Amino acid sequence: MDKALLIQLGGSAAGIAVLVGFTAWMGVARPTPPLDAESARALLALEFPDQRPDRVWISADGAAVIARDGDAALVLYRRGDGYVARDLPWSAIASLKPINGRVRPRLSDARPVLAVKDDVWPPREFA
Amino acid sequence: MLKAPFDPVQLAIPFFILAIVLEILLGRFGKARAHYEVRDTATSLTMGLGSTIAGALFGGVIFATTVWVYQHRLFTIPMNAVWAWIAVFLLEDLTYYWFHRLAHERRVWWASHVNHHTSTHYNLSTALRQTWTGGVAGTWLLWLPLSFLGFPPAMVAIQKGISLVYQFWIHTEAIKRMPGWFEAVFNTPSHHRVHHARNARYLDANYAGILIIWDRMFGTFIPEVDEEPCRYGTVKNLGNFNLLHNVFHEWIGIAKDVAGSPRHALGYIFGPPGWSPDGSRDTSHTLKAKWRARVGADSTDQRI
Repeated sequence: MDKALLIQLGGSAAGIAVLVGFTAWMGVARPTPPLDAESARALLALEFPDQRPDRVWISADGAAVIARDGDAALVLYRRGDGYVARDLPWSAIASLKPINGRVRPRLSDARPVLAVKDDVWPPREFA
Repeated sequence: MLKAPFDPVQLAIPFFILAIVLEILLGRFGKARAHYEVRDTATSLTMGLGSTIAGALFGGVIFATTVWVYQHRLFTIPMNAVWAWIAVFLLEDLTYYWFHRLAHERRVWWASHVNHHTSTHYNLSTALRQTWTGGVAGTWLLWLPLSFLGFPPAMVAIQKGISLVYQFWIHTEAIKRMPGWFEAVFNTPSHHRVHHARNARYLDANYAGILIIWDRMFGTFIPEVDEEPCRYGTVKNLGNFNLLHNVFHEWIGIAKDVAGSPRHALGYIFGPPGWSPDGSRDTSHTLKAKWRARVGADSTDQRI
């Protein structure tokens, strides 16, 4: 490979690292306080506007929500300073097994970690 | 002239970096609206670098094809004439509009372009989140008619670069609105926020490069309205920050769909994103229809 090109690539990679470090240092991400009942409902309404979940569970750390709408589970979890929304069959959620206070639903492109209080699953909200 | 004597994008890189630093500082000290998430920023910047590498790898094929087409041109357009620069500005921008519209409305080209829209942020680093697979997708073919008309390849390359540099500064929330006359003619941060929004109301709109007049002419213009702030990203946001997933996820999605039902391959490849044979998935069209049904909006209203 051309030496000048290698230097250019190396310089670019170093520049990216510096800029990312600067971003981290400045701390300008969106604030994402733990979800409560009101904010969880608002987020569900925004991400799943055509669904009317009747039962809602918020993870112990407030970073995720699972809601049930009939046979569908509506999942929201924090990624970075935003939330990702997915729906999947309720059976996939009901069959989760908590390990060390965590459940990990299998989504198409992620396995988020959801904090569970007292290793009880399904939680009482879905009883 | 065949090869451009300079690349506006390369020349603008120091400005890009300084502008990002400035935007972060303005956000940090509360002087402007700007949010940066560390992994999101890392993804955007790395995508930009990767795009440059991918462009260099594929650049030879594009250049050779362009030169070949230029050798069979209809006219010889001088590179030193003012009228020629005005013409290439308008025609390149019109080409960009149609490229961009196709890149959103046909899945095979969306697979290449979606990477630019996967950030849930809208800041200057998002502008650098560029595709790695544009060469393979073949969208560059759309610019060949300019060389066939007789615009020197160097002239087209420079104008494409100018367009890309222009589009950098509009990726920001720090600027709310430009003066009315400017908003009427040019693509602006406000217009382009709408383009990056995932709200059903704003989907498939504002494809402009430099001039917003194309959207107004072809009926794809939607203004930003204060009562509905833009939410950024794709309709179904990515579940992780994996760079390769970001680059290839839609290509993999197409491959899986075609392998699962080869007789529907054309629909999966050339249909709109979200197309499915049984209509069980959402497209922009169905999402907008559902939204209209929810809000009871008049579908002829330009604001929706």
